[in-house]
Formats: sequence, C-alpha cells, structure tokens
Amino acid sequence: MMTSLIDRDMPTIAPAHDPRPDHLVLEGLEKRYDKVVAVAALDLAVRQGEFIALLGPSGCGKTTTLRMTAGLVPASAGRIVIGGRDVTHLPPYRRDIGLVFQNYALFPHMTVAENVAFGLEMRKVPKADIGKRVAEALALVRLAQYGERRPRELSGGQQQRVALARALVIRPSILLLDEPLSNLDAKLREEMRTEIREIQRRLGITTLFVTHDQVEALSMCDRIAVMQAGELVQLGTPFEIYERPRRAFIADFVGRSNKLDGIVREAGVIEVGPLTLRATETPARGTEVRISVRPHRIHIHPHPGSARPHARTNLLVGRVVRTTYVGDVFQYDVDVGPGVMQVEKPTAAGPQPISRGDEVELEWSVVDTLVFEDRP
Amino acid sequence: MDIGRNSQGFTLLVGLLFAFLLAPVLFVFPISFSNDPFLAFPPQSWGFKYFAALPRNAVLMSAFRTSLALAATVTALSLALAVPAAYALVRLDFRGRDWLMSLFTAPLLLPSIVLGLAILLVFVRVDLLATYPGLVIAHLVVTLPYALRVIATALGTLPPAIEDAAATLGAPPFTVFRRVTLPMMMPGIVAASALSFLVSFDEVVISLFIVGPKLSTFPVEMFRYVETRTDPLIAAASVILIVATIGIVLVLERSIGVARALGKASQP
Repeated sequence: MMTSLIDRDMPTIAPAHDPRPDHLVLEGLEKRYDKVVAVAALDLAVRQGEFIALLGPSGCGKTTTLRMTAGLVPASAGRIVIGGRDVTHLPPYRRDIGLVFQNYALFPHMTVAENVAFGLEMRKVPKADIGKRVAEALALVRLAQYGERRPRELSGGQQQRVALARALVIRPSILLLDEPLSNLDAKLREEMRTEIREIQRRLGITTLFVTHDQVEALSMCDRIAVMQAGELVQLGTPFEIYERPRRAFIADFVGRSNKLDGIVREAGVIEVGPLTLRATETPARGTEVRISVRPHRIHIHPHPGSARPHARTNLLVGRVVRTTYVGDVFQYDVDVGPGVMQVEKPTAAGPQPISRGDEVELEWSVVDTLVFEDRP
Repeated sequence: MDIGRNSQGFTLLVGLLFAFLLAPVLFVFPISFSNDPFLAFPPQSWGFKYFAALPRNAVLMSAFRTSLALAATVTALSLALAVPAAYALVRLDFRGRDWLMSLFTAPLLLPSIVLGLAILLVFVRVDLLATYPGLVIAHLVVTLPYALRVIATALGTLPPAIEDAAATLGAPPFTVFRRVTLPMMMPGIVAASALSFLVSFDEVVISLFIVGPKLSTFPVEMFRYVETRTDPLIAAASVILIVATIGIVLVLERSIGVARALGKASQP
C-alpha cells in the first residue's frame, strides 16, 4: 500500500487532441433578464459526434444555454453555429435539432407511433418512409411493440425512451438533452445512462447534455463543461474535471472533498493552523488557499506511528469522532485539529478495526492535495 | 378536504346538501304530470295534458326556436373569440396582460340587472333593441367571460414544454397550435361550449330589457306566462328543459368527463 502511494505521479493529462471538426459552436453567448445575467459570454465548441455535459447546480445557467441553443429562448448577445450554419436568429422549427425534455413532453393525445412520426410529418417525409423510420426508431429504444399505446400507458422510463426516439427519428444535426434522467428512479437512471450513451455512440450524433448530476456527467460524457453563476468555469474530460478541478467550487461540486484553509509558506508547503501539508503545485508564498482532498484517497492507519513520514505523502494524526457504515464503505470523521476530515475505506467482512475515539493516522499522496485560491 | 371523505357523517352531509339544492327542482316533476287547470301540489288529477299542450302554444314554441338558435350562435361566437383571446392572455407575454384578463372577466362580477340596464341604454341609441344581433351581443357579454375563464384555465394547465417539443420537431407556430395545443385544450373547449350554451339559453334578466313583441326568448316567455297564467304548462316545459340538460351533461361525462372538462388539470 505504501509503495503504491509514494510511486503515484501527477496524473498525466493527455493534451486534448481531437481531429474532429467543431459542429456546435457557441460564441460569446449571453442571456440577460433586465439586470440579471443568466449566462455570461459563454464560449463552447462541441466537436462532431462529441458528447458534452453542461454540469452545474440549479440556477447556473446550463438550462438557459440549452434553451438558447434550441431557439426556445432568444440570446441577448453572441452567436450559435450548428454545422457551419449561423442559427442565432432562426426559430426552433428551423434549427434541425432534437430535444429531450426532463418531463418527457410527449403529446398525450397521440399514440407512441404518432408521437415519433410528428417530426417526420413536419419534414414532409413520404408516408411509406415514415412508417419504416418510426419502426426503426422505436426498435432503437427497444419499444418496437409499443407503437399503438398512449404515452400515459407507459412507465416513466419507457416514456423517456419514446421522447428519445421522437428526437432522434428526424436525424437532427445535434441532440440536446435537458436533465433527461432526473425524473427516473435510481435503478432506471443507471440503465438509461448506459442506453443513451450506447445510442449516442452508435449514431455518432453531436450531443449537449444538461445535468446537475456529476455521476451522469462523469460516466456518460466525452467532456464536461462546468458552469457556475452563468459562467463556464472549466471545460475538460471527466478525468481532468475530477482530478484537476480548477476551482474549489468544482472540487466540491464534482465528487466529495475535505476542505482545509491555509496559507502558502513556501513552494509546495502549506500551513494549516499548526499543521504543515505538502502539495505539488502552490501559488505564491503568503497566498491564502483552500486545500481539498478526496475522502477515498486518504489512507487511515489504526495505529499512529506505523506509517513513515515521506516527502511525497502527507501524514496527520487525529481522533475518530464518528464512524458511519454505508454498506460498501465505512466513513470515518477524523478530527485533525484545524478541522474534521472524512475518510472512506471499503468495508470487509470481519471485526471492525477502528471505532469512535481511536487515535489514528491519515496519509495521502501529495498528488491528491488539491490547492485552490478561491474559497466558495 | 380528504379528511373523512368516506365517513358516514360526510355522506349524510353531502346527501342533505344535494337534497337542499335539488328539492325545488324535483317538485316540478309531479306537478308537470298534473291535469289540473291551476298549479297545486299534490295534483288532483294526473296526466300528460300540458305536455301535449306545449307544442300548440305558438308564442312559447317560437321563443324556444329563437333561444336555441341564439344559444348556438352565441356559443359559436364565444369560442371564436375566447380561444384566440385565451391563447394571447396565457401564452404571450405582454404589458397589461393581467389587467386585460381582469377586464375580460369583469362582467362575471357585475349584477346582471345592472348589465341589462346598461345594455338597454346603449341599444336604444344604436337601434339594436329587440333585434337578433342585439340579443347575440348582449348574451356574448355574459357568456364570453365564462368561456374565456374555462379555456384560459385549460390552457394554463398545459405544460409549455409540450408545445416547445413540437416546435423543436419542426412545427411552425400555427401548426403547433392546430396539432398540439388545440387538441389538448379540447376538454376545456367542450366545457366552454356547454357553459356558453346553457348560460345563453337560460339568460332572463338581460334579455328582459331588450326583447320585444316580435322577438323574445324562451325563459322570458316562460316568465311572462307564469305572471299571467297559473296552469302547470310551465312545469311541463321545465321538466323537458331539465331532462335535456341532464342529457347534455351525461353525454359530456361519457365523452370527456365533466370534472376534466371544468378545468381539473389533465396530466400529460
């Protein structure tokens, strides 16, 4: 265990080289309501066939961005380009997009097949082709037998798959997904995650996916655009977003993290109250910083003194103030002096080695010490 | 309101309320089968005399035909005005929207005797008294607020996302309205039609001010009849009206459900 900790290097982040051309480009996109800025000068380029998540808490402007892209909300400033065509001032029905809504938004007075056929009828596709393409689309979402049903006769998951088929059958230039999984229960959500990802890959359709759920964003998407208060604060692969978040806000929002506030004493060394911690990268000496460490990256040793101090690890002694059994992991809240840190350890059968009140030692790699200059 | 919905006390209370509301109406039924020359309860002799006499009363029959045609015209015009008005008031965002909505539904709050007098004063000047267009306009003043209310409520409960979905699928605004909004508003439209028709057909107070000797409505003539005569003819006419109304409500209930029609949100 020790060697693995010490030998770990800075996560290598491959330079984002992708030969695919940009397909959806948002340029200086902005939305203001009187004085309130919902989306501020947003720049984002989605490559052909790429699956990008707009991730952020509610009110961060991600849905507004999606609705501007769809043409359902006019942009206050900026440009929207889809496949080389400037659509900024086009109404939604001339943008050639497929949109899947959180609450499905199926037409209740039409059958499933009629719902799916609607977009094709609008495009004046010949009748014979409509039947064929509707059948294909329903087969794609595994609902081939449900064409004659009414939406209300289907479960939530089935309704969302109809909505997906309805959006895809028109072979839109881009696919927009507005929190499509939020109304489903946990189990179904997991299935739909895989299913949407599979279909997206198979069709190679450029997709913008709005979500507040970091697990969805991390597990489904090629890249994630994190938004905060109307601004895009980081764009990167799930790996980059999780391992090298650029702000404390992101570290906190994507995954969980322990937070300690300190001051940079010298390069690579941060003073947190009476403690001294090491990090790989630090801002200038004297800067007030926030340190963040993922709970599952911290090793907990039941007997202080068993781990040797090392230049590439941080070592702290603390007292366990709470233990929580969550089934697959144990969570330990450990008071280390300037704060309480949460540590996670996979559970194993057998007696419980650590209990409340025990003195323990925490150890983690300096690579896992994330340092931020913002303190949200 | 759910508390004790199934308890016996609640059932009794509802039963009493229904009895209180319906008792006078139920009274009319036995009287209509009276053969007596005067209104009395219980009738001395029974029969269908006054049902048979009804079609022979030229004044009442003419008024009945006028009222039917009038109610049909008023209903059609109410819908033609209320549907676009409701759409504009609910879906479009413009300054003074709430104010307009209040203005359109204000006649609901005015006593009809005041409305009747006001309409009389205006119609005298523009020569609309005792004319068919005059009656249509006067009735519209009363039916339009009802129709607008019901249709606006129906439209308000439709999730806008469904219309957005249609737009993103390539439907221009009018197609969205025709293919999606209108069919989903249907229960509200049917309810508004039924209400407009019944309100117009039943309207007495305003009509009293503006009918004339050559053009009169059924309720007005019924009112005049009981002022001068005391035989049970009107009871027979009432029974026919009650049965016809129940018939309409039953058809509505069978086709779309009255609760839904009166604006209870229909889930998508």
